[in-house]
Amino acid sequence: MKKLSYISYLFFTFQVLIANTIHVGKQYPVKSIHQAIVQSKDGDTIIVHQGLYREGNIVINKKIVFIGRDFPVLDAQKHGEVLSVKADSVVVKGFKIINSGFAALDDPCGIKVYNRTFVRIYNNRLDNNFFGIYLQNCNNCIVKGNTIVSHGTQEQLIGNGIHCWKSDNLQIIANTVSGHRDGIYFEFVTNSVIWRNISTKNIRYGLHFMFSNDDSYITNVFKNNGAGVAVMFSKSVKMINNTFEENWGDSAYGLLLKEISDGYIFNNKFIKNTSAIYMEGTSRIKIEKNNFISNGWGMKVQASCMDNEVVSNNFLKNTFDISTNGSLVLNTFNSNYWDKYEGYDLDKNGVGDVPYHPLSLFAVLTEKNATTMLLYRSFMITLLDKSEKVLPSITPDNFIDKTPLMKSLPL
Amino acid sequence: MKKSAFLLFASLVLISCVSGEPKPLQLNSDACDYCKMTIANGQFGAELITQKGRYYKFDDVACMIHFAKSNTVVPYKAFFVCDYLMGNTFVPVEKCYFLKGGTINSPMNGNAIAFASKKEAVRYQPKFNAVILSWKELYSSY
Repeated sequence: MKKLSYISYLFFTFQVLIANTIHVGKQYPVKSIHQAIVQSKDGDTIIVHQGLYREGNIVINKKIVFIGRDFPVLDAQKHGEVLSVKADSVVVKGFKIINSGFAALDDPCGIKVYNRTFVRIYNNRLDNNFFGIYLQNCNNCIVKGNTIVSHGTQEQLIGNGIHCWKSDNLQIIANTVSGHRDGIYFEFVTNSVIWRNISTKNIRYGLHFMFSNDDSYITNVFKNNGAGVAVMFSKSVKMINNTFEENWGDSAYGLLLKEISDGYIFNNKFIKNTSAIYMEGTSRIKIEKNNFISNGWGMKVQASCMDNEVVSNNFLKNTFDISTNGSLVLNTFNSNYWDKYEGYDLDKNGVGDVPYHPLSLFAVLTEKNATTMLLYRSFMITLLDKSEKVLPSITPDNFIDKTPLMKSLPL
Repeated sequence: MKKSAFLLFASLVLISCVSGEPKPLQLNSDACDYCKMTIANGQFGAELITQKGRYYKFDDVACMIHFAKSNTVVPYKAFFVCDYLMGNTFVPVEKCYFLKGGTINSPMNGNAIAFASKKEAVRYQPKFNAVILSWKELYSSY
C-alpha cells in the first residue's frame, strides 16, 4: 500500500513532464524547422530528419531538445547566424551547421548561446562558419564531441572555433577544431574545464586564455597552430597531460605564459616547438614532470618571472634548454634530467655530484643579439661555452640545478 | 636599360629607408610589442614610430599607450591607429575620433576603437553605448 502511494505520488508529480515529439522532414507533416519551433512548447523534442534546410537564422527560444537524425544540414547561405539559442536547458545534437555569414562587425556564428544556463551542444559538425560555437555569458553549459572546421587563411579575418565569454562552470569536451583564429578562446571564464580536445592548424592559437581564473585544461592536443597556446592575465590555471607539438615561427611558442600566477603545469609533452615555454611576468607556477623534446628553446624565462619551480622534467634534444634575458635568479630548478649534463655520479644514487648550469653562454648571447645565431656550432663558440661551464662569467653562476638526474624520468 | 633598372632599384632602396609612413600589419604573423599576442584583428591595431625610425606594432590601442607610457627614454615621432571600419589602414591619431567603453570588446580589453571621420564616430556611438574621446583624452584615460 505504501509502495502504491509512493508510485502514484511519483506519477502525479512528474505528469507535467509529459511532452510531445515533433518530427521535421520531407515525409512528415511539418516541413520546416521554423514551423516546428513555433508549434513546440517547453519540454518538447524536435527531431529533424536528414535533408538540407535553408531557413536562414534559426532561433530556439523555448526549452526544447533539438535533435538531428543522420546529420541534417542547416545552411545559412553566408548570411548572418545559423543557430541562436535563447532559452535555458536547450539540447542541440547531431546537426551539420554550415556557411554562417562572414562579417567583422557583428561576429556571426554557427551556434551562439545568449546569456543562458544548462545548454548542451553535442556531436555537431560545423563547417565554414565565421565563429564556430559562441557561449556569451553562459553558466553550466556543456560543449561536447563537436567537429568544427573552417578554412581561414593568414591574411583573413576569421572568428574562433569555440569562443567563451564571461561564463562560469563550462565543460568543453572532446571537440576537434581546425582552421579558425583561435581553436578555443576563453575570456572572463571561471571554474571551467577543457578536456580531451584536439586543436590543430588554427591561424593564431590552439587555445587562448584571457582574464580567466581557476580553469583546467587536461589531455588536449595542440598541434601545428600559428603560435601555439597562450595563457595570459589569468590565475590558477592547471595544465595537465597536454601535448604541444610543431608550433614553429618567430613569434610562435608551444605555450606562452604572460602575467599569470599560481598555475600548475604537469605531465605535458612539448615536442618540436620554436620555444616550448615562454614565460613573462609569471609567478608561483610549478612546472613538474614534463617532457621537453626537440625544441629550439626548452624554456625562455624572462627576468620578470619569479618564484617558479621547475622540478623533475626531462630536457631532451633541445637546441637550448633554458634562456633568460636577466641576471637575477628568482626561480628554482631542481632534479631535472638534462641530456647535455656531463657530470658524474660516484656515489651511484642517481643524482649527479656536480650541479648543472642549464643556461649556456650562447643562449645568453643570442638573447641579447639574435644575429649571433650565425655563429652557432662554430669552434670558438663551443670553446667559449666549455670554458663558461667551468668558470661562469657572463651567465649567472647561481642559475643551477643542484640535483640533476643521471637518467631520464620515465614520463 | 641597365641604368634604369639600377635607378629603380636604388630608388626602391631609398624609399624603404625614408618613410615616416606606417607599415601595414601582417595579420596572424606579427606579434604585439607590448603584450606578445599575435595580432589577428586589424580593426583594433595600432603602430608607433620612434624618432630613429623604428616601428612598434600593437594589437590594441591600450597596448600602445601602456608601451608609450612605460618608456620615457626613446622619443616618439608618430602614433597611428587602424580605422575601425576599414580594418588595417592606419590613420594618424590626431585625426581620429575614438570611442571607448560600452559594449566594445577589443583584444586586450582596452575597449577603444578609432574612426577617421567624426560622422561615423557619432553614428556608432549609440550603437556601442560608448563615449567619444579625442586622442589626448584617450591617452590620459589609461
